[in-house]
Amino acid sequence: MKIENTKAQMRKGVLEYCILSILKDDDAYVAEILGTLKDAKMLVVEGTIYPLLTRLKNAGLLNYRWEESTSGPPRKYYGLTETGKLFLKELNTTWDELQHAVNLVTKQKKK
Amino acid sequence: MNKTVNINLAGIFFHIDEDAYLKLQRYLSAIKRSFTDSQGRDEIIADIEARIAELFSEKIRDERQVIGNKEVDEVIAVMGQPEDYRLDEEIFEDEPRASYQRPKSAKQLFRDTTNSYVGGVSSGLSHYLGIDSTWIRLAWILFTIFSSGAFILIYIAFWIFVPEAKSTSDFLAMKGEAVNISNIEKKIKEGFDDVADTVKNVDYQKYSNKVKSSSTTFFEALGDVLLFLLKIFVKFIGVILIITAGITLISLFIGLFTVGTFGFMDTPWTEYIEVGNHPDVPLWIVSLLAFFAVGIPFFFLFILGLKILINNLKSIGTPAKLGLLGVWIISIIGLSVIGIRQATLEAYDADVITEEKTLPITAKDTLTIKMQGNDRYVRQLRHRDDYRIKRDEEGNRVIVVRDIEIYMKSTKRDSVVSLAIKKKAEGRSYDEASERAEDIKYFYELEGKTLLLDGFAITDYANKFRDQEVNITLTLPEGITIYADDNTSGFNNSWTYDDYITIDRKEEEYLKLVDGKFVCESCPEKENDWEYDEDEDEVKININSEDQNFNLKIDEDGVELNNEPVKVKIDEDGIEIKTEN
Repeated sequence: MKIENTKAQMRKGVLEYCILSILKDDDAYVAEILGTLKDAKMLVVEGTIYPLLTRLKNAGLLNYRWEESTSGPPRKYYGLTETGKLFLKELNTTWDELQHAVNLVTKQKKK
Repeated sequence: MNKTVNINLAGIFFHIDEDAYLKLQRYLSAIKRSFTDSQGRDEIIADIEARIAELFSEKIRDERQVIGNKEVDEVIAVMGQPEDYRLDEEIFEDEPRASYQRPKSAKQLFRDTTNSYVGGVSSGLSHYLGIDSTWIRLAWILFTIFSSGAFILIYIAFWIFVPEAKSTSDFLAMKGEAVNISNIEKKIKEGFDDVADTVKNVDYQKYSNKVKSSSTTFFEALGDVLLFLLKIFVKFIGVILIITAGITLISLFIGLFTVGTFGFMDTPWTEYIEVGNHPDVPLWIVSLLAFFAVGIPFFFLFILGLKILINNLKSIGTPAKLGLLGVWIISIIGLSVIGIRQATLEAYDADVITEEKTLPITAKDTLTIKMQGNDRYVRQLRHRDDYRIKRDEEGNRVIVVRDIEIYMKSTKRDSVVSLAIKKKAEGRSYDEASERAEDIKYFYELEGKTLLLDGFAITDYANKFRDQEVNITLTLPEGITIYADDNTSGFNNSWTYDDYITIDRKEEEYLKLVDGKFVCESCPEKENDWEYDEDEDEVKININSEDQNFNLKIDEDGVELNNEPVKVKIDEDGIEIKTEN
C-alpha cells in the first residue's frame, strides 16, 4: 500500500465537497477551479477533476454555460443548481460533523 | 528533422511533431479507455482536450511554433497519468468500471527494411508475431525447400502487399503490442465508438445533456458483443480463404514445374505428352494458360483473405488488377481455342498408297513372310497401337509406331505377287492428314523368296503421333504357297472379308492358296481332335472329324472301328481299312 495513493484518496474523498464549495458564490471555469484547488494543495494533477465535474453535472448538481475566451478555446463556466446548493448545505453539515469526529478520534489517540 | 502534424484540439489549430502527436494520441486514448460510455466519456474527453488546448496555447508564443515532445510531456505532467483518472473512479464509481489498459496501439504488419536481408518481410513478421526474426527466416528457408521453391512466391506476395515501414508512426505501429483477443475486442470497441461519435457529434450539446439509461448501455454492450463475434467470424473466413487459396496456388505452382514444361526442362515424358494426342501448341503454353486460368481467381481469393486479416494491406492497384483480369481472360480464350483445335485435330483420316509393285515371286514359289526389327527402334516385334520416341542415327527425335498390318488378297488374274504399302494418318484437314501419312518412313526387303517386312514405321518428331499406321497388302496369285514366320502373328489380318483372306493363325505352316482359300499342306490332321487312351495292351483312339465320330480300338483281338472289327492294311498303296464283313 503506497502512502501516495492513500493521500490522494483522502484528498479525492472531499474533492466533490471542495468543488461545490468553490462554486458556492460565483460561477467559475475549470482553470479557475483548478487554480484554487492547486493552491490549496488539494490536487496534484488536473486529470482527476474532469470526470468529477461531469459526474456532478450529470447528477444535476452543476450546470454550465459556454463563454468565449480571448486565448484558447471557449470556456465552460460551471455553477451550482438548486439541487447543488441543497447538496452543498448537507455536505457542510456532514463535513462539520466529520471534522469533529476525526478531531475527537485523533486527539483521543494522542492522549 | 521531424514531420509535423496539424491537429485541431477543441477547435484550436496546432502544429505538432509527429512523435509528440502520437504520444498525445496514445495518452488521450488511454484516458478514453479508462472511462465507460455511461460516465459521459465523450464529454470528459472533450473537457480534457479543451484544457490541453488551453495549456498548449499558454506555451506557444509564436503562431509558427511547433509543439514537441517536451510540451506534451509537460502537459501530461500537469494533467496526470491515466492512472490518476482511474483512481478517481475507484472511490466514486458506482457503476462497473471499464478495464484499464496501457496505452499502446495495436500492431500492424509492415516490412522492416532497417533490419532486412531481402525485403524486410521476416523482420516485419517478427515484430508482428513477436517471434525472433532468425526463426522466421529459418522457417522461410525450410518451407521454400520443402515446397520446392513455391514459398518464394508467398514471400514475393508479402513483399509486394505489405507496406514498408517509413514514418515514425509506421514503426510505432509495427512494434505495437501483441495481437490477442482483448486487443481485437478493443479495436472493435474503438471502431464502434468512432461510428457512435460521428453520430453524436451532430448535436454535441444535446448529447451532453442526454441522460443515459441503462437500456442503451445494455444495447451498446450487446452491439459490442455482436460486432466482436462478427469480426471473429470474418477473420475466420479470411484464414480459410488464405489457406485454401494458398494451398491451391502452391500445388498449381508445383504442378507447373513438375510437368516440366517451361521448355528448358525436358523430362523424358514431356515429349511423349507433346507428341501424343495433344494440340500442336507447345505443352508449356497449355500448362501456363491453365495455370493462369485457375491460379488468378485463387490469387484474388488469397488477396481477399489477406485483406480480411491484415487491415493496412496495400492494394495491388487497379492496373495490376486489370492486368491480371486481362491475363485471365486471355488464358480462358486461349484454352478454348486450344480445346476447339483439339476437337478438330483428328477430324480427317487420310490413306496414302505410296508404293505398289510386283515381286518376282510366281505362283509356283513358296513365299516366306517375316517381320524384322531394328535394335534402335524396336526390340520386340509386336503389334501395338501406341508410340515410342527414339533417336535416329543422327540423334534426331523420331516417333516409332508399330501399327503395321499385313493383308492378303488372292488373285486369279496375276501370276506374280504384288505388294502395296498404304500409309495412314489423321489430321485437322485432309491435306494435313495425307501429308503426315506421306511422312511415314516404312521399309521392307526381299531376300530371295523371303519378304522381310519392318515391324515398325518411323516418322519425324515434328509430325506428332496422330494414329499413324501402315497397311501392307499382298496380292497373291492362285496356287502359291506361303510360309508366315511366327513373328508375323499379331501383324496378320485375321478377318476374311471382300477378297481379303486370312492365314487364320497358321503361322509356321506351309499354306497353299487354292480357290481363294489357304489350304494347309504341312499341318497334321489338324482339324481333328485326338484322344489317346492307352492301356497296357490296347490302344483306343477317339477321332472327332467333321460330323462323324470314330472309335478306333487296337488290342490283341485286332482293330475295331466303332465297336466293329475292321481289317487295317498298310502298304505302298496307302492305308486300307475294311470292315470284316
